[in-house]
Amino acid sequence: MKYVPLVWAAIMRKPTRAVLTLLSVMLAFTLFGLTIGMNATFAKVQEEARDDRIFAFARFGGLVPIALERQIEGMPGVAMVASSSFVPGYLHDPKNRIFVQMMDENIPKVLPEWPITPQQWQLIRDDRQGMLVSKMQADRWHLKAGDTLTIAAPAARKLDGSPSWTFHVAAITSDINYMSQGYMFGNFDYMDKARTLSDQSKTGQFRVKVSDPSKTAEIAAQIVSKFANSPTPLETITEKVAFDVSAGTGMDIASVDRDVALAGMFMVLFLTANGLAQAVRERFAEFATLKTIGFSDSGVIALVFAEAAIPCLMGAGLGIGLASIVSNVMPRFLPPGQGLPIPTMTIMVFVWAGLCAALVAFISAALPALRLKQMDIATALSGR
Amino acid sequence: MLRQIWIVSALNFKSLKSRFWQSMVIVVGLAATVGVMLSMLSVSAGMRTAYQNSGSPDRAIVVSKGVEQEASSAITRAMAPLIAVAPGIAKDKDGKPLADRTLQLGVPVVRANGSKGFTTMRGMAEKGPGVRPELKIVAGRMFQSGKRELIAGVGAQVMFQHMQIGDKVILPDGEWPIIGIYKTGDQLEGQLIGDSETLLTATHKTNYNTMLVRLASPDSLDAFKKAMTTNPALSVDVIRHSDWYNRVASQSTFGLALLGYVVGAVMAIGALFGCLNTMYAAVSTRGREIATLRALGYDALPVAVSVILEAMLLSVTGALIGAGIAWALYDGKLDLFNNVIFYLSVSRAQIALGVIWAAAVALLGGLFPSIRAARLPVVDALRAT
Repeated sequence: MKYVPLVWAAIMRKPTRAVLTLLSVMLAFTLFGLTIGMNATFAKVQEEARDDRIFAFARFGGLVPIALERQIEGMPGVAMVASSSFVPGYLHDPKNRIFVQMMDENIPKVLPEWPITPQQWQLIRDDRQGMLVSKMQADRWHLKAGDTLTIAAPAARKLDGSPSWTFHVAAITSDINYMSQGYMFGNFDYMDKARTLSDQSKTGQFRVKVSDPSKTAEIAAQIVSKFANSPTPLETITEKVAFDVSAGTGMDIASVDRDVALAGMFMVLFLTANGLAQAVRERFAEFATLKTIGFSDSGVIALVFAEAAIPCLMGAGLGIGLASIVSNVMPRFLPPGQGLPIPTMTIMVFVWAGLCAALVAFISAALPALRLKQMDIATALSGR
Repeated sequence: MLRQIWIVSALNFKSLKSRFWQSMVIVVGLAATVGVMLSMLSVSAGMRTAYQNSGSPDRAIVVSKGVEQEASSAITRAMAPLIAVAPGIAKDKDGKPLADRTLQLGVPVVRANGSKGFTTMRGMAEKGPGVRPELKIVAGRMFQSGKRELIAGVGAQVMFQHMQIGDKVILPDGEWPIIGIYKTGDQLEGQLIGDSETLLTATHKTNYNTMLVRLASPDSLDAFKKAMTTNPALSVDVIRHSDWYNRVASQSTFGLALLGYVVGAVMAIGALFGCLNTMYAAVSTRGREIATLRALGYDALPVAVSVILEAMLLSVTGALIGAGIAWALYDGKLDLFNNVIFYLSVSRAQIALGVIWAAAVALLGGLFPSIRAARLPVVDALRAT
């Protein structure tokens, strides 16, 4: 501990350099936090996906007869089936996209982990035009319980040909992690009874819950083959696969994120290694003095490592801090409907950042340390 | 003055060798920044090009009023002939209007890596090839109307399994063989095409999705649009095909492009601090040399300019290296994102953007050190060891 002032003095010898290095390291770690934090979000979503649930929907697009719900429910191994459809619309201007998911009464039972109380679900049963709005969406459209919202949905017309759908905001509810833009939930019956005859008794997708999680994939395949020759063939995807971002987009996003973080680290490594080498070169004679007054090789080397570690670790801490601030304010600036994931600063992000910072510091200090170990005290003292 | 700038800068660049590793901080910083940014932008730029190539200013698309996606539009059998006889549509050599009844639906596919995905299957009627003259069969033959057969795009062939001639695609009424491979130079290359009428029957649909017409000339859009919007039997929107795809392109690539720029900006600021650091160090190592020049009668300005030029040279070199790596790794590579197949693109315009980005960093990163260099007290600097 008593050497802290010594290390500090060494760093602050060139304050401009110290501050610039720190800022550079900080930004590289901000990027690190954002990218690795995004991977943490993907991992969290994937982890929260339940292994006993399946999505089933029309194989060739469009709506599915609701009657299939009972048929799937009758299959061995299936515990329960819920269905949901959606009203894809907009508010005032097509740019203000609004997507209301219309839930049937089984949804709360098949998705019990959602942060919505039975009382809240009951609200949209009691009032068919009721709607549950997540906090994020409520903030976005400035909605509160009791408001009325009319959206235009040209792709889901009503019986009279009108595209406008009116909803009553019944309650503002907590957000659901994997719906990074928030959600709006309405009552499926409202939609079903109001829409054009050809679309009535049809829904968008089923959420199938199986009784034995080890049979999920098997049952998913059985559902496909059961309806393969029906007028509405189905396609299924297990929740685990559906919530896997690289399976969804077809691009290995997690490794892209890692590469970006790595590029930042590489840049910083170059910077700190150079700065340190230069600092040690400038103070070569001083290190010789330290050795002369009795500092051991390892003592001097420890000083160099400390000199490297302080800006790296401080920069990492500040960078991750900045990244978490950015992720907190990010949702406010993102355009809606892009579905960009918001990074999460989990413990693992901190741990990885710490490890990377330590590694960068270690590599930066390695060469200068080696030079100090091999230094010839007499030559160094003479300043040549 | 220019001569002085030239002499001082030349001297400066000659001494770069002795500051090699220090200077590499700027080169590596900008190489990483521009390399990462252009690699990320290659996705959004490639996707944008694929979409934009799909539209054409001499085509118009007719969709149900207010919809934003082809799949959610519905054109009934009764509406189709009304649209086809409207003025402003180009005619083929038999005098028939070049208006195509189209379908669009998603079909599940297996990606080359074995994971499940979707692609778009399009229905095209008899006038389809006339409306889309860019469609060329490169292997096998065109599908025949009334037959249950499909053609696949060259991109789909690479990115999905089971897309060769002779392979079968499962549709609701059985298996349809792929009998030809086509090229279009746009996002259709990642898709499948079959006969609209036959597909309609096979998928138990009653309506087409859109009407795609070839305009008599790009200027005849207004006449066509007027005929559509004044006909009370139709409730449709008419949009120039290129405008339609420009909107689709912005909507689907905005987020990705934004991400690329944000990452690029964060890295650029990091590189900027590195650049400042290096240039301050360079000025202090060159203190003696600068003071000598000043003592010999050189102005402060050439000295300051030489510092900025050095920063420029280093960062633009870095940017070109980064851009070169991004280009070599990704440009022209076939890729897939959100079920759209496209060629990744690191274009000249983007490389230029990377260079501008680097020049901006160098300007800012060289400015303050150059001021310090210009203000260096000559006597003190000469005395310094």
